[in-house]
Amino acid sequence: MDRRRKMGQCAVMAEAVGGKLGGDRFMSGRGVGEEVVEACRRGDREAFRLLFEAYKDRVYSIALYYFNGDEASARDASQQVFLKLLTGMNSFRGRAEFSTWLYRLVANVCIDRHRSGRALVFLDDLASRRELVERTSPEEDHLRRQVEQSVQAEVARLRPKLRLPILLRYFEGLSYQEIAQVMNCSAGTVASRLNRGHKMLATKLAHLRGVLVRGG
Amino acid sequence: MFGIHESKRLSAYHHRQLSPPESQRVARHLAGCPRCQRELDEIRFGAELAGKLRPVPAPDSLWEEIEGALDRRPATVPETGARWRWLVPAAAAATVVAAISAWWLYARVDPGWQVVRLEGSPVVGSSRIGEGARLAVGEWLETDASSRARISVGLIGQVAVEPNTRLRLAAARRREHRLELARGTLRAKIWAPPRLFLVETPAALAVDLGCVYTLHVDDNGAGLLHVLSGRVLLEDKGRESIVPGGAMCRMRPGAGPGTPFFADAPERLRTALARFDFDGGGAAAVAVVIGEARPRDTLTVWHLLSRVDGAARETVYDRLAALAPVPRGLTRGAVLRLEHEALARWKEELEWTW
Repeated sequence: MDRRRKMGQCAVMAEAVGGKLGGDRFMSGRGVGEEVVEACRRGDREAFRLLFEAYKDRVYSIALYYFNGDEASARDASQQVFLKLLTGMNSFRGRAEFSTWLYRLVANVCIDRHRSGRALVFLDDLASRRELVERTSPEEDHLRRQVEQSVQAEVARLRPKLRLPILLRYFEGLSYQEIAQVMNCSAGTVASRLNRGHKMLATKLAHLRGVLVRGG
Repeated sequence: MFGIHESKRLSAYHHRQLSPPESQRVARHLAGCPRCQRELDEIRFGAELAGKLRPVPAPDSLWEEIEGALDRRPATVPETGARWRWLVPAAAAATVVAAISAWWLYARVDPGWQVVRLEGSPVVGSSRIGEGARLAVGEWLETDASSRARISVGLIGQVAVEPNTRLRLAAARRREHRLELARGTLRAKIWAPPRLFLVETPAALAVDLGCVYTLHVDDNGAGLLHVLSGRVLLEDKGRESIVPGGAMCRMRPGAGPGTPFFADAPERLRTALARFDFDGGGAAAVAVVIGEARPRDTLTVWHLLSRVDGAARETVYDRLAALAPVPRGLTRGAVLRLEHEALARWKEELEWTW
Protein backbone atom coordinates (compact mmCIF):
# COMPACT_ATOMS: atom_id res chain seq x y z
CA MET A 1 0.00 0.00 0.00
CA ASP A 2 1.22 3.48 -0.71
CA ARG A 3 2.88 4.74 2.45
CA ARG A 4 1.51 8.25 2.27
CA ARG A 5 -2.03 7.11 1.75
CA LYS A 6 -1.62 4.75 4.63
CA MET A 7 -0.41 7.48 6.97
CA GLY A 8 -3.37 9.59 5.97
CA GLN A 9 -5.66 6.73 6.90
CA CYS A 10 -3.94 6.48 10.26
CA ALA A 11 -4.72 10.13 10.87
CA VAL A 12 -8.35 9.57 10.06
CA MET A 13 -8.37 6.52 12.29
CA ALA A 14 -6.82 8.49 15.12
CA GLU A 15 -9.64 10.96 14.87
CA ALA A 16 -12.15 8.17 14.68
CA VAL A 17 -11.01 6.81 18.01
CA GLY A 18 -11.63 10.15 19.62
CA GLY A 19 -8.23 11.78 19.41
CA LYS A 20 -8.02 15.52 19.27
CA LEU A 21 -5.65 16.76 16.64
CA GLY A 22 -3.09 18.41 18.86
CA GLY A 23 0.27 16.88 18.05
CA ASP A 24 2.13 19.66 16.30
CA ARG A 25 4.51 17.35 14.47
CA PHE A 26 2.67 14.19 13.69
CA MET A 27 -0.15 13.03 11.57
CA SER A 28 -2.47 11.76 14.27
CA GLY A 29 -3.95 13.30 17.36
CA ARG A 30 -2.96 13.05 20.95
CA GLY A 31 -5.14 11.09 23.27
CA VAL A 32 -7.85 8.54 22.63
CA GLY A 33 -11.47 8.50 23.62
CA GLU A 34 -12.45 7.00 26.95
CA GLU A 35 -14.74 4.54 25.21
CA VAL A 36 -11.78 3.06 23.37
CA VAL A 37 -9.76 2.78 26.56
CA GLU A 38 -12.75 1.21 28.24
CA ALA A 39 -13.21 -1.27 25.38
CA CYS A 40 -9.52 -2.17 25.62
CA ARG A 41 -9.96 -2.84 29.33
CA ARG A 42 -12.73 -5.27 28.48
CA GLY A 43 -10.34 -7.09 26.16
CA ASP A 44 -11.81 -5.85 22.88
CA ARG A 45 -9.10 -6.58 20.39
CA GLU A 46 -10.57 -4.32 17.70
CA ALA A 47 -10.44 -1.38 20.10
CA PHE A 48 -6.85 -2.25 20.90
CA ARG A 49 -6.11 -2.31 17.20
CA LEU A 50 -7.51 1.21 16.89
CA LEU A 51 -5.40 2.36 19.77
CA PHE A 52 -2.37 0.67 18.23
CA GLU A 53 -2.97 2.39 14.90
CA ALA A 54 -3.24 5.77 16.62
CA TYR A 55 0.06 5.46 18.42
CA LYS A 56 2.25 2.90 16.65
CA ASP A 57 4.30 5.31 14.55
CA ARG A 58 5.01 7.61 17.45
CA VAL A 59 5.98 4.79 19.77
CA TYR A 60 8.15 3.20 17.11
CA SER A 61 9.81 6.52 16.17
CA ILE A 62 10.76 7.32 19.75
CA ALA A 63 12.17 3.82 20.21
CA LEU A 64 14.03 3.92 16.92
CA TYR A 65 15.69 7.26 17.66
CA TYR A 66 16.32 6.22 21.23
CA PHE A 67 18.16 3.13 20.03
CA ASN A 68 20.24 5.02 17.51
CA GLY A 69 18.40 3.64 14.51
CA ASP A 70 18.55 -0.01 15.53
CA GLU A 71 15.38 -1.41 13.98
CA ALA A 72 15.43 -4.72 15.83
CA SER A 73 15.56 -3.01 19.22
CA ALA A 74 12.91 -0.50 18.17
CA ARG A 75 10.54 -3.26 17.02
CA ASP A 76 11.13 -5.27 20.13
CA ALA A 77 10.63 -2.25 22.38
CA SER A 78 7.46 -1.18 20.51
CA GLN A 79 6.04 -4.66 20.80
CA GLN A 80 6.84 -4.71 24.48
CA VAL A 81 5.20 -1.32 25.00
CA PHE A 82 1.92 -2.38 23.41
CA LEU A 83 1.83 -5.68 25.22
CA LYS A 84 2.44 -3.91 28.52
CA LEU A 85 -0.17 -1.38 27.56
CA LEU A 86 -2.75 -4.07 27.03
CA THR A 87 -2.02 -5.93 30.23
CA GLY A 88 -1.69 -2.75 32.25
CA MET A 89 -4.81 -1.07 30.92
CA ASN A 90 -6.62 -1.62 34.18
CA SER A 91 -4.05 0.41 36.03
CA PHE A 92 -4.80 3.48 33.92
CA ARG A 93 -7.32 5.42 35.99
CA GLY A 94 -7.53 8.51 33.90
CA ARG A 95 -5.64 10.63 36.40
CA ALA A 96 -3.35 11.73 33.61
CA GLU A 97 -3.97 11.92 29.91
CA PHE A 98 -3.71 8.52 28.30
CA SER A 99 -0.87 9.61 26.04
CA THR A 100 1.21 10.73 29.03
CA TRP A 101 0.75 7.33 30.60
CA LEU A 102 1.65 5.62 27.34
CA TYR A 103 4.83 7.65 26.89
CA ARG A 104 5.88 6.84 30.41
CA LEU A 105 5.62 3.20 29.38
CA VAL A 106 7.70 3.92 26.29
CA ALA A 107 10.32 5.76 28.34
CA ASN A 108 10.50 2.99 30.91
CA VAL A 109 10.84 0.26 28.31
CA CYS A 110 13.55 2.17 26.46
CA ILE A 111 15.46 3.00 29.62
CA ASP A 112 15.20 -0.57 30.92
CA ARG A 113 16.45 -2.02 27.65
CA HIS A 114 19.24 0.53 27.52
CA ARG A 115 20.32 -0.31 31.07
CA SER A 116 20.25 -4.02 30.38
CA GLY A 117 22.68 -3.42 27.55
CA ARG A 118 20.47 -5.08 25.00
CA ALA A 119 20.36 -2.07 22.77
CA LEU A 120 22.68 -2.29 19.82
CA VAL A 121 24.54 0.77 18.72
CA PHE A 122 23.75 0.86 15.06
CA LEU A 123 23.29 4.31 13.74
CA ASP A 124 21.61 4.03 10.42
CA ASP A 125 20.13 6.21 7.76
CA LEU A 126 16.68 6.71 9.20
CA ALA A 127 15.78 9.15 6.49
CA SER A 128 16.18 6.53 3.82
CA ARG A 129 13.44 4.48 5.43
CA ARG A 130 11.11 7.37 5.87
CA GLU A 131 8.67 8.41 3.26
CA LEU A 132 8.83 11.79 1.65
CA VAL A 133 5.80 13.71 2.75
CA GLU A 134 6.63 16.85 0.83
CA ARG A 135 7.46 16.90 -2.84
CA THR A 136 10.57 18.96 -3.49
CA SER A 137 13.24 19.18 -6.15
CA PRO A 138 15.94 16.47 -6.03
CA GLU A 139 18.49 19.09 -4.94
CA GLU A 140 16.34 20.42 -2.13
CA ASP A 141 15.44 16.92 -1.13
CA HIS A 142 19.07 15.89 -1.01
CA LEU A 143 19.99 18.93 1.07
CA ARG A 144 17.09 18.33 3.44
CA ARG A 145 18.09 14.71 3.88
CA GLN A 146 21.65 15.71 4.66
CA VAL A 147 20.50 18.13 7.33
CA GLU A 148 18.09 15.61 8.82
CA GLN A 149 20.73 12.90 8.92
CA SER A 150 23.15 15.22 10.68
CA VAL A 151 20.50 16.10 13.26
CA GLN A 152 19.58 12.44 13.74
CA ALA A 153 23.20 11.51 14.29
CA GLU A 154 23.73 14.25 16.87
CA VAL A 155 20.49 13.48 18.69
CA ALA A 156 21.61 9.86 18.84
CA ARG A 157 24.85 10.98 20.46
CA LEU A 158 23.08 12.91 23.23
CA ARG A 159 22.96 11.19 26.58
CA PRO A 160 19.64 9.32 27.03
CA LYS A 161 18.42 11.73 29.70
CA LEU A 162 18.86 14.62 27.25
CA ARG A 163 17.68 12.65 24.22
CA LEU A 164 14.33 11.55 25.59
CA PRO A 165 12.94 15.04 26.35
CA ILE A 166 13.98 16.14 22.87
CA LEU A 167 12.09 13.23 21.29
CA LEU A 168 9.01 13.78 23.43
CA ARG A 169 9.00 17.48 22.74
CA TYR A 170 9.61 17.35 19.00
CA PHE A 171 7.75 14.18 18.05
CA GLU A 172 4.84 14.60 20.38
CA GLY A 173 4.75 18.30 21.13
CA LEU A 174 4.40 17.45 24.82
CA SER A 175 4.50 20.36 27.25
CA TYR A 176 7.31 20.55 29.78
CA GLN A 177 4.85 19.50 32.46
CA GLU A 178 3.80 16.45 30.44
CA ILE A 179 7.39 15.49 29.77
CA ALA A 180 8.05 15.85 33.49
CA GLN A 181 5.20 13.43 34.22
CA VAL A 182 6.52 10.95 31.67
CA MET A 183 10.05 11.13 33.00
CA ASN A 184 9.04 11.33 36.63
CA CYS A 185 10.97 14.51 37.30
CA SER A 186 10.20 18.21 37.73
CA ALA A 187 9.36 20.60 34.90
CA GLY A 188 12.46 22.53 35.91
CA THR A 189 14.60 19.47 35.27
CA VAL A 190 12.97 19.06 31.87
CA ALA A 191 13.68 22.71 31.07
CA SER A 192 17.28 22.29 32.09
CA ARG A 193 17.76 19.12 30.03
CA LEU A 194 16.15 20.62 26.96
CA ASN A 195 18.35 23.66 27.39
CA ARG A 196 21.44 21.48 27.41
CA GLY A 197 20.18 19.39 24.52
CA HIS A 198 19.47 22.45 22.39
CA LYS A 199 22.86 23.96 23.13
CA MET A 200 24.69 20.74 22.32
CA LEU A 201 22.88 20.43 19.00
CA ALA A 202 23.62 24.07 18.19
CA THR A 203 27.30 23.64 19.01
CA LYS A 204 27.82 20.34 17.23
CA LEU A 205 25.90 21.40 14.15
CA ALA A 206 27.03 25.02 13.97
CA HIS A 207 28.20 24.34 10.44
CA LEU A 208 24.56 23.97 9.33
CA ARG A 209 23.61 27.53 10.23
CA GLY A 210 24.12 28.79 6.73
CA VAL A 211 22.29 25.88 5.20
CA LEU A 212 19.23 26.33 7.41
CA VAL A 213 19.16 30.04 6.76
CA ARG A 214 18.96 29.20 3.06
CA GLY A 215 16.01 26.94 3.51
CA GLY A 216 17.75 23.64 4.16
CA MET B 1 25.32 44.48 36.04
CA PHE B 2 22.57 42.33 34.52
CA GLY B 3 21.44 40.59 37.73
CA ILE B 4 21.06 36.83 37.64
CA HIS B 5 21.31 35.46 34.15
CA GLU B 6 18.33 33.58 32.74
CA SER B 7 20.29 30.91 30.88
CA LYS B 8 18.44 27.97 32.41
CA ARG B 9 15.02 29.25 31.45
CA LEU B 10 15.70 30.16 27.85
CA SER B 11 14.37 26.95 26.29
CA ALA B 12 11.21 27.27 28.37
CA TYR B 13 10.97 30.90 27.28
CA HIS B 14 11.46 29.95 23.64
CA HIS B 15 8.79 27.24 23.89
CA ARG B 16 6.40 29.55 25.76
CA GLN B 17 6.37 27.28 28.76
CA LEU B 18 6.78 30.02 31.34
CA SER B 19 3.97 31.79 33.14
CA PRO B 20 3.25 35.31 31.84
CA PRO B 21 5.07 37.03 34.76
CA GLU B 22 8.09 34.71 34.35
CA SER B 23 8.12 35.24 30.64
CA GLN B 24 7.98 39.03 31.09
CA ARG B 25 10.86 38.87 33.56
CA VAL B 26 13.01 36.90 31.13
CA ALA B 27 12.09 39.29 28.31
CA ARG B 28 13.11 42.28 30.43
CA HIS B 29 16.40 40.63 31.28
CA LEU B 30 17.07 39.73 27.66
CA ALA B 31 16.55 43.31 26.56
CA GLY B 32 19.63 44.36 28.51
CA CYS B 33 21.82 41.28 28.49
CA PRO B 34 23.81 40.51 25.34
CA ARG B 35 25.10 37.24 26.84
CA CYS B 36 21.62 35.84 27.35
CA GLN B 37 20.58 37.13 23.92
CA ARG B 38 23.41 35.11 22.39
CA GLU B 39 22.41 32.07 24.40
CA LEU B 40 18.82 32.46 23.26
CA ASP B 41 20.06 32.57 19.70
CA GLU B 42 21.87 29.26 20.32
CA ILE B 43 18.75 27.76 21.88
CA ARG B 44 16.63 28.85 18.94
CA PHE B 45 19.08 27.36 16.49
CA GLY B 46 19.20 24.10 18.50
CA ALA B 47 15.40 24.03 18.56
CA GLU B 48 15.28 24.64 14.81
CA LEU B 49 17.61 21.71 14.32
CA ALA B 50 15.60 19.46 16.63
CA GLY B 51 12.55 20.47 14.62
CA LYS B 52 14.12 18.69 11.66
CA LEU B 53 13.58 15.31 13.33
CA ARG B 54 10.96 13.40 11.45
CA PRO B 55 8.92 10.39 12.55
CA VAL B 56 9.48 7.02 10.99
CA PRO B 57 6.48 4.82 10.16
CA ALA B 58 6.31 1.60 12.16
CA PRO B 59 6.89 -1.55 10.11
CA ASP B 60 3.75 -3.01 8.59
CA SER B 61 4.35 -6.29 10.36
CA LEU B 62 4.36 -4.83 13.88
CA TRP B 63 0.68 -5.53 14.51
CA GLU B 64 1.00 -9.12 13.32
CA GLU B 65 3.91 -9.59 15.68
CA ILE B 66 1.92 -8.23 18.59
CA GLU B 67 -1.13 -10.25 17.66
CA GLY B 68 1.02 -13.34 17.37
CA ALA B 69 2.39 -12.74 20.84
CA LEU B 70 -1.14 -12.26 22.16
CA ASP B 71 -2.35 -15.45 20.49
CA ARG B 72 0.52 -17.52 21.77
CA ARG B 73 0.17 -16.38 25.34
CA PRO B 74 -3.44 -15.37 25.85
CA ALA B 75 -3.36 -15.66 29.60
CA THR B 76 0.03 -14.19 30.40
CA VAL B 77 1.41 -11.50 28.25
CA PRO B 78 5.16 -11.92 27.91
CA GLU B 79 7.38 -9.37 29.57
CA THR B 80 9.50 -9.08 26.49
CA GLY B 81 8.92 -9.48 22.81
CA ALA B 82 9.98 -13.11 22.93
CA ARG B 83 9.17 -13.75 19.31
CA TRP B 84 11.76 -11.25 18.27
CA ARG B 85 14.52 -12.18 20.64
CA TRP B 86 16.24 -13.99 17.83
CA LEU B 87 16.55 -10.65 16.14
CA VAL B 88 19.10 -9.46 18.66
CA PRO B 89 21.85 -11.91 17.68
CA ALA B 90 20.73 -11.60 14.07
CA ALA B 91 21.02 -7.84 14.25
CA ALA B 92 24.39 -8.19 15.95
CA ALA B 93 25.56 -10.27 13.01
CA ALA B 94 24.10 -7.67 10.66
CA THR B 95 26.05 -5.01 12.53
CA VAL B 96 29.29 -6.86 11.93
CA VAL B 97 28.48 -7.13 8.23
CA ALA B 98 27.55 -3.44 8.14
CA ALA B 99 30.77 -2.50 9.91
CA ILE B 100 32.82 -4.43 7.36
CA SER B 101 30.88 -2.75 4.55
CA ALA B 102 31.40 0.64 6.14
CA TRP B 103 35.12 -0.01 6.44
CA TRP B 104 35.24 -1.02 2.79
CA LEU B 105 33.39 2.12 1.78
CA TYR B 106 35.65 4.24 3.95
CA ALA B 107 38.86 2.71 2.67
CA ARG B 108 38.11 2.63 -1.00
CA VAL B 109 38.67 5.55 -3.29
CA ASP B 110 35.53 7.06 -4.78
CA PRO B 111 35.38 6.74 -8.59
CA GLY B 112 34.77 10.46 -8.90
CA TRP B 113 32.15 13.15 -8.52
CA GLN B 114 29.15 13.80 -10.69
CA VAL B 115 29.47 16.89 -12.83
CA VAL B 116 26.81 18.62 -14.89
CA ARG B 117 26.97 21.34 -17.49
CA LEU B 118 25.13 24.54 -16.55
CA GLU B 119 26.06 26.68 -19.55
CA GLY B 120 28.29 26.54 -22.62
CA SER B 121 30.72 23.69 -23.14
CA PRO B 122 32.77 22.91 -20.06
CA VAL B 123 35.21 20.04 -20.51
CA VAL B 124 36.62 17.30 -18.32
CA GLY B 125 40.03 16.37 -19.66
CA SER B 126 39.46 16.89 -23.35
CA SER B 127 35.85 15.75 -23.43
CA ARG B 128 32.77 17.89 -23.27
CA ILE B 129 30.57 17.22 -20.27
CA GLY B 130 27.67 15.04 -21.28
CA GLU B 131 24.94 13.04 -19.62
CA GLY B 132 26.10 11.26 -16.43
CA ALA B 133 29.59 12.78 -16.61
CA ARG B 134 31.97 12.31 -13.71
CA LEU B 135 35.12 14.04 -12.63
CA ALA B 136 37.63 11.38 -11.70
CA VAL B 137 40.51 11.83 -9.27
CA GLY B 138 43.37 13.55 -11.10
CA GLU B 139 41.17 14.90 -13.91
CA TRP B 140 40.91 18.60 -14.76
CA LEU B 141 37.65 20.42 -15.36
CA GLU B 142 37.82 23.60 -17.42
CA THR B 143 35.30 26.26 -18.31
CA ASP B 144 35.77 28.96 -20.92
CA ALA B 145 34.39 32.49 -20.88
CA SER B 146 30.88 31.29 -21.68
CA SER B 147 30.58 28.03 -19.79
CA ARG B 148 29.71 26.96 -16.27
CA ALA B 149 29.39 23.62 -14.52
CA ARG B 150 28.28 22.16 -11.24
CA ILE B 151 30.01 19.43 -9.27
CA SER B 152 28.37 17.26 -6.63
CA VAL B 153 30.96 16.89 -3.91
CA GLY B 154 30.25 13.29 -2.99
CA LEU B 155 27.29 13.52 -0.65
CA ILE B 156 28.45 16.57 1.27
CA GLY B 157 27.80 19.54 -0.95
CA GLN B 158 27.97 21.24 -4.31
CA VAL B 159 30.43 23.42 -6.12
CA ALA B 160 29.44 25.78 -8.92
CA VAL B 161 32.31 26.31 -11.35
CA GLU B 162 32.19 29.77 -12.92
CA PRO B 163 33.57 30.81 -16.37
CA ASN B 164 37.32 30.77 -17.07
CA THR B 165 38.05 28.29 -14.35
CA ARG B 166 40.45 25.38 -14.22
CA LEU B 167 40.28 22.92 -11.36
CA ARG B 168 41.28 19.34 -10.60
CA LEU B 169 39.82 16.68 -8.35
CA ALA B 170 42.73 15.88 -6.05
CA ALA B 171 41.10 13.40 -3.67
CA ALA B 172 37.67 11.86 -3.25
CA ARG B 173 37.59 9.86 -0.07
CA ARG B 174 34.95 9.80 2.60
CA ARG B 175 37.21 11.73 4.94
CA GLU B 176 38.88 13.94 2.38
CA HIS B 177 37.15 15.77 -0.45
CA ARG B 178 39.85 17.86 -2.09
CA LEU B 179 39.90 20.11 -5.15
CA GLU B 180 42.80 22.02 -6.62
CA LEU B 181 41.80 25.42 -8.01
CA ALA B 182 44.47 26.59 -10.45
CA ARG B 183 42.54 29.66 -11.62
CA GLY B 184 39.03 30.99 -11.86
CA THR B 185 36.11 31.05 -9.48
CA LEU B 186 34.17 28.45 -7.59
CA ARG B 187 31.20 28.79 -5.30
CA ALA B 188 30.98 26.07 -2.68
CA LYS B 189 28.01 25.08 -0.55
CA ILE B 190 29.00 22.41 1.94
CA TRP B 191 26.85 20.83 4.62
CA ALA B 192 29.31 18.29 5.96
CA PRO B 193 31.03 18.39 9.34
CA PRO B 194 34.10 20.63 9.37
CA ARG B 195 37.36 19.78 7.62
CA LEU B 196 36.01 17.29 5.11
CA PHE B 197 36.15 19.62 2.11
CA LEU B 198 39.42 21.26 1.10
CA VAL B 199 40.44 23.45 -1.80
CA GLU B 200 44.12 23.89 -2.67
CA THR B 201 45.09 27.15 -4.33
CA PRO B 202 48.56 28.37 -5.32
CA ALA B 203 48.56 30.61 -2.23
CA ALA B 204 46.76 28.70 0.53
CA LEU B 205 44.63 25.74 1.45
CA ALA B 206 40.97 26.54 2.15
CA VAL B 207 39.55 24.25 4.82
CA ASP B 208 35.79 24.21 5.00
CA LEU B 209 34.37 24.53 8.50
CA GLY B 210 30.78 24.15 7.28
CA CYS B 211 29.81 26.97 5.01
CA VAL B 212 28.93 28.72 1.80
CA TYR B 213 31.71 30.65 0.10
CA THR B 214 33.21 31.97 -3.11
CA LEU B 215 36.87 31.47 -3.93
CA HIS B 216 38.63 33.24 -6.77
CA VAL B 217 42.17 32.67 -8.04
CA ASP B 218 43.65 34.96 -10.70
CA ASP B 219 46.21 34.07 -13.37
CA ASN B 220 49.08 34.94 -11.02
CA GLY B 221 47.81 32.58 -8.35
CA ALA B 222 46.61 35.35 -6.05
CA GLY B 223 43.29 34.60 -4.44
CA LEU B 224 40.29 36.14 -2.75
CA LEU B 225 37.95 34.24 -0.45
CA HIS B 226 34.51 35.59 0.40
CA VAL B 227 32.57 33.58 2.99
CA LEU B 228 28.82 34.04 2.89
CA SER B 229 27.99 31.88 5.90
CA GLY B 230 29.73 29.50 8.26
CA ARG B 231 33.51 29.81 8.29
CA VAL B 232 36.61 28.81 6.39
CA LEU B 233 40.15 28.32 7.62
CA LEU B 234 42.91 29.42 5.24
CA GLU B 235 46.32 27.99 5.94
CA ASP B 236 49.77 27.93 4.42
CA LYS B 237 53.05 26.98 6.06
CA GLY B 238 51.72 27.43 9.58
CA ARG B 239 50.06 30.77 8.89
CA GLU B 240 46.32 30.65 9.47
CA SER B 241 43.38 32.98 8.88
CA ILE B 242 39.90 32.29 10.16
CA VAL B 243 37.29 33.75 7.85
CA PRO B 244 33.72 33.82 9.18
CA GLY B 245 30.50 34.53 7.29
CA GLY B 246 30.45 38.05 5.88
CA ALA B 247 34.23 38.29 5.80
CA MET B 248 36.87 38.12 3.08
CA CYS B 249 40.54 37.30 2.88
CA ARG B 250 43.15 37.83 0.20
CA MET B 251 46.03 35.46 -0.41
CA ARG B 252 49.21 35.52 -2.47
CA PRO B 253 51.62 32.74 -3.51
CA GLY B 254 54.60 32.82 -1.22
CA ALA B 255 52.91 35.09 1.30
CA GLY B 256 50.00 32.76 2.13
CA PRO B 257 46.70 34.00 3.50
CA GLY B 258 46.41 37.67 4.37
CA THR B 259 44.50 39.14 7.29
CA PRO B 260 40.72 38.61 7.12
CA PHE B 261 38.35 41.55 7.10
CA PHE B 262 34.63 42.05 6.92
CA ALA B 263 33.26 42.84 3.50
CA ASP B 264 31.65 45.99 4.88
CA ALA B 265 34.84 47.23 6.57
CA PRO B 266 35.88 50.83 5.77
CA GLU B 267 37.66 51.19 2.46
CA ARG B 268 40.72 52.78 4.11
CA LEU B 269 41.04 49.77 6.41
CA ARG B 270 40.87 47.36 3.49
CA THR B 271 43.42 49.25 1.42
CA ALA B 272 45.84 49.60 4.31
CA LEU B 273 45.44 45.93 5.12
CA ALA B 274 46.39 44.93 1.58
CA ARG B 275 49.50 47.12 1.87
CA PHE B 276 50.38 45.53 5.20
CA ASP B 277 49.81 41.96 4.03
CA PHE B 278 51.51 42.04 0.65
CA ASP B 279 53.32 45.33 -0.01
CA GLY B 280 55.47 45.86 3.06
CA GLY B 281 53.16 48.48 4.49
CA GLY B 282 54.55 47.89 7.99
CA ALA B 283 53.66 49.92 11.05
CA ALA B 284 52.18 52.79 9.06
CA ALA B 285 49.63 50.50 7.43
CA VAL B 286 48.85 48.86 10.77
CA ALA B 287 48.21 52.26 12.30
CA VAL B 288 45.61 53.01 9.63
CA VAL B 289 43.97 49.60 10.05
CA ILE B 290 43.55 49.84 13.80
CA GLY B 291 42.56 53.47 13.58
CA GLU B 292 39.74 52.64 11.19
CA ALA B 293 38.64 49.47 12.98
CA ARG B 294 35.07 49.30 14.25
CA PRO B 295 34.05 46.99 17.14
CA ARG B 296 33.16 44.30 14.61
CA ASP B 297 36.63 44.54 13.09
CA THR B 298 38.14 42.78 16.08
CA LEU B 299 38.31 39.94 13.55
CA THR B 300 41.05 41.83 11.76
CA VAL B 301 42.71 43.30 14.83
CA TRP B 302 42.87 39.93 16.63
CA HIS B 303 44.62 38.39 13.62
CA LEU B 304 47.10 41.27 13.54
CA LEU B 305 48.31 40.48 17.06
CA SER B 306 50.37 37.55 15.84
CA ARG B 307 51.47 39.27 12.62
CA VAL B 308 53.29 42.20 14.14
CA ASP B 309 55.87 42.36 16.87
CA GLY B 310 57.48 44.68 19.36
CA ALA B 311 55.87 48.04 19.90
CA ALA B 312 53.42 47.46 17.06
CA ARG B 313 52.01 44.42 18.87
CA GLU B 314 51.51 46.48 22.00
CA THR B 315 49.64 49.10 20.00
CA VAL B 316 47.45 46.43 18.43
CA TYR B 317 46.78 44.93 21.87
CA ASP B 318 45.73 48.30 23.27
CA ARG B 319 43.38 48.91 20.36
CA LEU B 320 41.83 45.44 20.67
CA ALA B 321 41.35 45.94 24.41
CA ALA B 322 39.65 49.26 23.67
CA LEU B 323 37.29 47.64 21.13
CA ALA B 324 36.40 44.62 23.28
CA PRO B 325 36.92 43.93 26.97
CA VAL B 326 39.86 41.70 27.82
CA PRO B 327 38.44 38.43 29.23
CA ARG B 328 38.80 38.11 32.97
CA GLY B 329 42.03 36.38 33.97
CA LEU B 330 43.76 37.08 30.69
CA THR B 331 47.01 38.97 31.12
CA ARG B 332 48.57 41.47 28.76
CA GLY B 333 51.85 39.60 29.03
CA ALA B 334 50.35 36.28 27.96
CA VAL B 335 48.76 37.86 24.91
CA LEU B 336 51.90 39.78 23.93
CA ARG B 337 53.89 36.55 24.24
CA LEU B 338 51.31 35.02 21.88
CA GLU B 339 50.56 32.21 24.28
CA HIS B 340 48.23 29.91 22.39
CA GLU B 341 45.73 29.52 25.21
CA ALA B 342 45.48 33.27 25.78
CA LEU B 343 44.91 34.04 22.11
CA ALA B 344 42.38 31.23 21.77
CA ARG B 345 40.46 32.40 24.81
CA TRP B 346 40.21 35.96 23.61
CA LYS B 347 39.17 34.78 20.18
CA GLU B 348 36.47 32.67 21.76
CA GLU B 349 35.02 35.77 23.42
CA LEU B 350 35.31 37.86 20.28
CA GLU B 351 33.80 35.30 17.96
CA TRP B 352 30.32 36.12 19.21
CA THR B 353 30.59 39.43 17.42
CA TRP B 354 32.09 38.13 14.16
